[in-house]
Amino acid sequence: MTQTLKSTRFGDVEISDDALVEFPNGLIGLRGTRYALVPHDATGTFLWLHSMDDPDLALPVTKPWTFFPRYEVELSDSEAERIGVTDPAQAEVFVTVRATGEAKDFSANLRAPIIMSGGRAFQVINEAEDAPVRAPLFAQPVG
Amino acid sequence: MLMMTRRAGQKIVIGDGITIEIVEVAGNTVRLGVDAPRSVPVYREEIWTAVRAENEAAATAASSATELPAAPPAPQAPGDGS
Repeated sequence: MTQTLKSTRFGDVEISDDALVEFPNGLIGLRGTRYALVPHDATGTFLWLHSMDDPDLALPVTKPWTFFPRYEVELSDSEAERIGVTDPAQAEVFVTVRATGEAKDFSANLRAPIIMSGGRAFQVINEAEDAPVRAPLFAQPVG
Repeated sequence: MLMMTRRAGQKIVIGDGITIEIVEVAGNTVRLGVDAPRSVPVYREEIWTAVRAENEAAATAASSATELPAAPPAPQAPGDGS
């Protein structure tokens, strides 16, 4: 089964059901609970978390360990209980990317990762110490 | 904004399922206990505000700058995440 995603960036995109993600509590400060995860290209390094309800709303995301091998996610007990995931290793973890200007300015939000499991996802607050909201993705400019 | 005076050990109730207890008052610090349904996320305001700003920036920046690099360069040195 597929659904058609209407996007101001990408036009109409067919989305398979397994790419749909429900955010029961939404993304902090953004509208909507229904999103799709769309790869940016064949490498899969970056993906777009695209609203199924707002053609204009999409955020680039990436897997944090691609860029930050020692990244850790620590959840408070209440947060783990809320999302029903006690061990982040059992879920997929993404971080949002601020892709402003040149690549050397790109950053990822390590403080508020997105934990995805079984078609549901939550943006959580990471209690780990070294988790800035704006961690540079590239130490060196991309050639 | 609703203002009310509470002492340590007293509570306020919001709606049907949220209780906030004043656990301790020491100097200019207040320790609160929040009892809310599991489905209700609770945030420290400054973190919520910072994350909202990042989410909005990610969503708006991407609408003009769609040129994401295809692949990352070598990962950063371990621990270089700050």
